[in-house]
Amino acid sequence: MPGMSNTAAVLVGLPGMSNTAAVLLGLVLAGACLVVWLIRTRRVEPAKGQRGRLRKLGWCAALLVLSVIVVSSLSSLPMPGNLSSWWLAMPVVAALIIIICWPHIAGRIVPVALIFYGLFGFVVARDYAFGGINSYGLTAVGNSSFQADLILPQAYAILLLGGWLMLRSADPVLVRARRWLGPVARAPLGYQLRALALVPVVAVLAGLLAPRLWLAGGAALILTPLLLFGVLLVIRRWPVRAAQLATAGLLCAGIAGLVIAAAWRSGSYVISEQCFSSLQPVPSSTAASAQPVPAPAASAQPKKPSFVPPAKPVKPAYSKPVCRPAPLFIGGGTAADIGDVVWGQALPYGSVLVDSQHTADAAGVEGLALLALGTWLAPQAFPRVRRMLGGTPDAELTKRVERLTESRAVAVDTASADLRRLERDLHDGAQARLVALGMNLRAAERLIATSPEAAIALVAEARKTSVMALMELRELVRGVLPPVLADRGLADAIRALALDSPLHVETDIDLPGRLPAPLETACYFAVAELLTNAAKHSGAREARIAISHSGRLLRIEVTDFGLGGADPEKGSGMAGVERRMATFDGILAVSSPVGGPTMVVMEVPCVLSSPRTSSS
Amino acid sequence: MRVVVAEDLFLLRDGLVRLLEAHGFEVAAAVEDAPGLLTALISERPDVAIVDVRLPPTFTDDGLRAAIEARGQVPGLPVLVLSQYVEQLYARELLADRAGGVGYLLKDRVFNDDQFVDAVRTVANGGTVMDAEVVTKLLGRRAREETLARLSAREREVLELMAEGRSNSAIAQRLFVTEKAVSKHSTSIFTKLDLVPSDDDNRRVLAVLAYLNG
Repeated sequence: MPGMSNTAAVLVGLPGMSNTAAVLLGLVLAGACLVVWLIRTRRVEPAKGQRGRLRKLGWCAALLVLSVIVVSSLSSLPMPGNLSSWWLAMPVVAALIIIICWPHIAGRIVPVALIFYGLFGFVVARDYAFGGINSYGLTAVGNSSFQADLILPQAYAILLLGGWLMLRSADPVLVRARRWLGPVARAPLGYQLRALALVPVVAVLAGLLAPRLWLAGGAALILTPLLLFGVLLVIRRWPVRAAQLATAGLLCAGIAGLVIAAAWRSGSYVISEQCFSSLQPVPSSTAASAQPVPAPAASAQPKKPSFVPPAKPVKPAYSKPVCRPAPLFIGGGTAADIGDVVWGQALPYGSVLVDSQHTADAAGVEGLALLALGTWLAPQAFPRVRRMLGGTPDAELTKRVERLTESRAVAVDTASADLRRLERDLHDGAQARLVALGMNLRAAERLIATSPEAAIALVAEARKTSVMALMELRELVRGVLPPVLADRGLADAIRALALDSPLHVETDIDLPGRLPAPLETACYFAVAELLTNAAKHSGAREARIAISHSGRLLRIEVTDFGLGGADPEKGSGMAGVERRMATFDGILAVSSPVGGPTMVVMEVPCVLSSPRTSSS
Repeated sequence: MRVVVAEDLFLLRDGLVRLLEAHGFEVAAAVEDAPGLLTALISERPDVAIVDVRLPPTFTDDGLRAAIEARGQVPGLPVLVLSQYVEQLYARELLADRAGGVGYLLKDRVFNDDQFVDAVRTVANGGTVMDAEVVTKLLGRRAREETLARLSAREREVLELMAEGRSNSAIAQRLFVTEKAVSKHSTSIFTKLDLVPSDDDNRRVLAVLAYLNG
């Protein structure tokens, strides 16, 4: 790994040192830093488990390795002005500072850095000839076409690894970023994974359709993240549509690969110096400013004598044959000129850089693979295709139907149980009292002539009975639909609930509109149940309710500052709340360490309706 | 004494009007919805308004909102709010302007017409009347606090009745003690709760309610 040893040499500032010694010195330095960090974290966070520490150690090691690799890629870049090569060591120094001072953010930086380094690979793969970059990842660039061909697969692997880590990371900032991209997607994971196929599709198509733009140094560094961001956004917001789009894209890209291979096979290529001369005036200004483009003659000389051993043959610019697949541009003059400009350089197709017979064949193989993947995904992404083929229903869909059947059964059971309870309460309470009232009044009616005193006593009793009946009806109504909820919606109903609670409850409610009525009721009773639980069992004196709505997700947090140790499996209360929320596709999570606080979080997908109608 | 009554159910409205007229009140207007109430309050300027919380057009808390709005336009306009249920949240909103002349009672309290008419008169004279149920809830919420625990059982009873807006003589009558004893309890309560004592009934009620709401 010549790039690594270059970096090490830069790091220790001893370019004259032998490569092996430099690498060893770098490793010793890194090891020492890690030991210091390990001792430090053991002291600062003794409560953290062994696994948590190991994971953090892994992130830190990954950050260090990544910074070394990045420096090795950058080390051969011509630096502007008199900047010493010490500046190149900045990433490694920064990584060491982060590892020592803020080890917890290593897990945040690594996925993001991986994504950017992966994107950088696409630039390097295309620009290797005149970019001055002499290594990427684990490969040296430009010494042989074989090594150069290894860049794109690495870029893909790094990009996918970064993306995967980003999706899986538990780091709060990344989690927030994911949430910002879109609410917790309700579509099954399978759809999201299928939708990930959009990434290679976009890469392949963008590489094919806009090579000049795609490859021009700085522009690509800006455009590629934007494209990738767009893709992620689409996947988060519309996973099902994205899966369909990815499938269609895979099919198109696969066909394109086959066409390219066939074009090369047919043998009608123009591999000529004319191509370069026609290209020469064209390079975009962005490319020129981002990376100085040396003239072919100049770049034929060794670029960085201090780091690249002069004995090594340095690849001259445009040493790869540049060609134009003529069959694609039948139609003469203008089309051929465009062909020169657009297709004139080696063509990146997915993970292959098509510039020779064997790379064209590889593109054909990759095209076949993409086509096969697309064909395999098609029946899953498009239900109509699946039905046409007479296939079985989607497994994810079957699972969802099972969940829905279950939650519907719970909803129906709950509703009928509520009705039965209501009937019983009315029958034993208000109805019975009204009967007593009527009997009393009838007796009073009869007594009024003979003994008015007795009649008056009976009437007074009748009045008391009516007060009792009213009181019971009030309680009943409260249990069915609390008046404030009906009047003003969830926010004020929860505030009223907080006031009525024996605990001191702080509320932080931000709802810019009203929820759908059934959900509002369910959320109210869920919070009421949790608050009652807290008052009864937690021993808390204070509690906090926070409700917010962002994107299409309602989030309710009920926290009590009591003893903790609540087990959702043990009491039926919390399980009941969870079942009821499931009817609305809601989820419930409980965190209750012994010693408190107990925090229950509920998330329900929903859309707010009318704007706020508040009285005060 | 001129009264405006707002109640959407005809039977109840009619009953209220008859009860008030039987006790010598003059019913200036009896309306059935919130916009009508607001118009009547602004144009008639009654001595007191009796308002149902739930009124047309939306059948939610229109009556309450109209009453609060009218008090915004005519500061201190006495309003007695009636409802099938009482909520601390609504009580707070009614008391928010601290101007007095506010009442909040369950509809059942109409059954005891003497007490109800007393309440109407208290509100009309700028006093404050709270339903016993609101006061119970207020006290229940702060039951665990040390300051309230310092009160004796009798003092708590007096505090409850004071919060409902009753005068010393009414409290004395209710608890079968002398007025002097009540005023002694009241001084003791104010000392224990760290409140500034006051001879003015209304200011005393507001102070107690503000303390309980705080």
